Amino acid sequence: MSASAASKGRAAVDRLRDIETVTHAGLAHLGVEELLVELLDRVRNVLDADTAAVLLLDAPNEQLVATAARGIEEEVYQGSRVPLGRGFAGRIAATRRPATIEDIADADVVNPVLRVNGVRSLLGVPLLAGGELLGVLHVGTIALRRFDDDDADLLQMVADRIALAVTAAQSDTERKASALLQRSLLPQRLPQVPGLDAAVRYIAGGGGTVGGDWYDLFTLPSGRVCIAVGDVVGRGVRAAAVMGRVRSAVRAQALGNQGDPAVVLDLVDRQLRHFDPGEMATAVVALVEPSFDRVHLSSAGHPAPLLVDGDGAAHYVDLTPDPPLGVKGRARRRSVTCELPPGAVVCFYTDGLVERRGQLLDDRLELLREAVTAAPAEDVCSTVMGRLIGLERPTDDVALLVVRRADSRTEPLEVTRPAVPASLSEIRAAVRRWLVDIGAAPEDVTDVLLAVGESTSNVVEHAYGPAGGTVGVRVELEFPDVVVTVRDTGQWRSPRGSNRGRGTAIMESASDVVAVGRGAQGTEVVIRRRLAVAGRSA
Amino acid sequence: MTDARVEAAVDDGRVRIVVSGEIDLQNAGDVEGQLTEAISNQARTVSIDLGEVAYLDSAGLRVLFHLVERLATLQIAVELVTPLRSPSRRVIELSGLAALVPLDPPA
Repeated sequence: MSASAASKGRAAVDRLRDIETVTHAGLAHLGVEELLVELLDRVRNVLDADTAAVLLLDAPNEQLVATAARGIEEEVYQGSRVPLGRGFAGRIAATRRPATIEDIADADVVNPVLRVNGVRSLLGVPLLAGGELLGVLHVGTIALRRFDDDDADLLQMVADRIALAVTAAQSDTERKASALLQRSLLPQRLPQVPGLDAAVRYIAGGGGTVGGDWYDLFTLPSGRVCIAVGDVVGRGVRAAAVMGRVRSAVRAQALGNQGDPAVVLDLVDRQLRHFDPGEMATAVVALVEPSFDRVHLSSAGHPAPLLVDGDGAAHYVDLTPDPPLGVKGRARRRSVTCELPPGAVVCFYTDGLVERRGQLLDDRLELLREAVTAAPAEDVCSTVMGRLIGLERPTDDVALLVVRRADSRTEPLEVTRPAVPASLSEIRAAVRRWLVDIGAAPEDVTDVLLAVGESTSNVVEHAYGPAGGTVGVRVELEFPDVVVTVRDTGQWRSPRGSNRGRGTAIMESASDVVAVGRGAQGTEVVIRRRLAVAGRSA
Repeated sequence: MTDARVEAAVDDGRVRIVVSGEIDLQNAGDVEGQLTEAISNQARTVSIDLGEVAYLDSAGLRVLFHLVERLATLQIAVELVTPLRSPSRRVIELSGLAALVPLDPPA
C-alpha cells in the first residue's frame, strides 16, 4: 500500500467518523433549538470552520431569517434577514444548490455581520425537505480557504439532518398552536341562559391539524340570545385565526344590529372580504327574541339546523343558504322566522357531523333527523354523537350545539348571577318569561316581579362586602301558588339608607307569604303568591 | 342591563316628562339625573308620565319620593300619570307615594 493510498484510506475513515459525528442517533432526544446548536458546533469542528449558521425561510416575506448561529451568535440576536435571491445565502436559496465564496472581499454578501467579524471564506448548502426549501446552512472561516466537494457533501448531510428536525418541529408546533388557538377561541363553557337549556359537543378532527369549526352562544343587552355555528374553510393555525375573527365579528355585529341575522351575516361578510380577502367561511346565525317565542335564522352556505317544535318530530328548518362569507354575491341575504314553543329544540351542527366517506349525505341527514328529539339538550347531544359518530374517529372537525327552550309548565326556573345591579334586569326578564309561559295573569306577573325585584336588590345591596357574591333565584309552580326562593351566601345585614324598609314592605304587599331564613350559610327568602286563576281575590 | 328613557318637553312653564322602560337599582341614579336635568327653576308644573314603565321598584320609588319632596320645596306642582293596573300604579299605591302627590287618573 502506497503512502498516498494509506492517507486516502485514513481520510475516508475520518470522513466516516465525521459523518457519524453529525448524524449520531443520540441527537434524537434534543429539542429543535438544542439540536441546531449541537449540530452547528459539531459541523464547525468537523469542517474546522469558525462560524456556522442556519437561516430559515420566511416564505410570506420572501426572506431568510437567521435562526441559529455558532461563532457569530449576534447574527441571530440581531434577527438578520436576507432577501431571497440576493447575497450569498439568498442565492443558495434561490438556486437550491451549494455555493462557496473563497474571499468575501470579492463577493456580494448581504449580511454585514460576517464582514465585520472578519469572515473570509464561506460554504453554504440549501435546507431541503421533500423538495421544499426550508432555509440555508452555511459555515465560514476567518482564514482564506477553498472548500471542496467533500466539504459540501458533508455539510449537505448535516443540512438534511437539520431539515428533518425542523420539519418535525414545525408541524408539531403548528399542530399544537392551532389546537391551542382553537381551544382558546371557543367558549370555555356555554353561558347559563335561564329558560334556555344548551349543550355542545366539539371534536377536533383526525389527521393532526385542527379545522376551523366554531360555535357561540351569547346574550345581548336587548334580551335576545344569539346562537352561531360556523366553519372556516381550511385547516391549521390560519383557519383557527380566521375563525376567531369571524366569531368576534358575529358578536360585534349582533350587538349593533340586533334584529335580523341576515344583516349580521351581511356585515360579517363585508368585514371578512375587506380584511381577510381570499378566506371563506360558512355560518348560520340565529337570534332568539327576548320572549323566546320566536327565532330568526340566516345561513351563509351552512347546512340548515333542525327544529323540533310542538308535535315532537324533527324537521330541517326551511332555510335556503345564501352564499358563504367571503364570497361576493349580489342578492340580499335572507332570514326565516320559526316559532319556538316551550320545549322546542333547535340543533345546529357543522358538516363534519353529516359527511362521511362512502355514505350518502341524504342518508346521514335522515339519521340526524331521527336522532334529534324534544329531550334535554345534553341527552340530544349524546344521542346524536352516539348514532352519527359512534366508534369511528371523525376525519373532519365536528361541532354540535343543541338548544332547548325550557317548558315552564313542568320545569322550575333556576338562575344564579353575580350579586351586582346589572344582574337584576336579566333575572327579572327570566322570571317574567317563566310567568307568562305558565299563563299567569298580568297582575300576578307585576306582583311576583316586584317581590323578586325587591328581594334580589336586597341581596345586591346588603348581602356581601366589596368582594361580592352571587344571588340565586328559583321559581316553581306549586299550583295554585308560585313559589320564589331567593338565596345568597352572604351575611345578613339589616337594610340601610333612605330606602330602608320600603322594599321589604313592597315585597310583603306583593306576595301572600314571605319567609326569611337566616343562617351561617347565607339567607334564603321564600315568597309565595297564589295565582289569580285559582280564584284569588284582588 | 336595565334600560329606561326619559323624554321631556317644555311648554310655557309646563314640563311634560315621559319615562319608558325599566327602573331598578342599576339605573335609578341615571334616571334621577335625567329627571332633574329636565326641570328648570322656571317650571311651574311638572307631569311625569309613567304609563310606559314596565318595571319600577323601591329603587325607582326613592327617586320619585326625592323628586316630589324637592319640587315641594321649590314650589313647583307635580303630578304622576300612571294608568290604573299598570306596573307603576301598583307599586306607587303600595308605597304610600299616592298620599304625597296627585295621580292621573286619581285614585
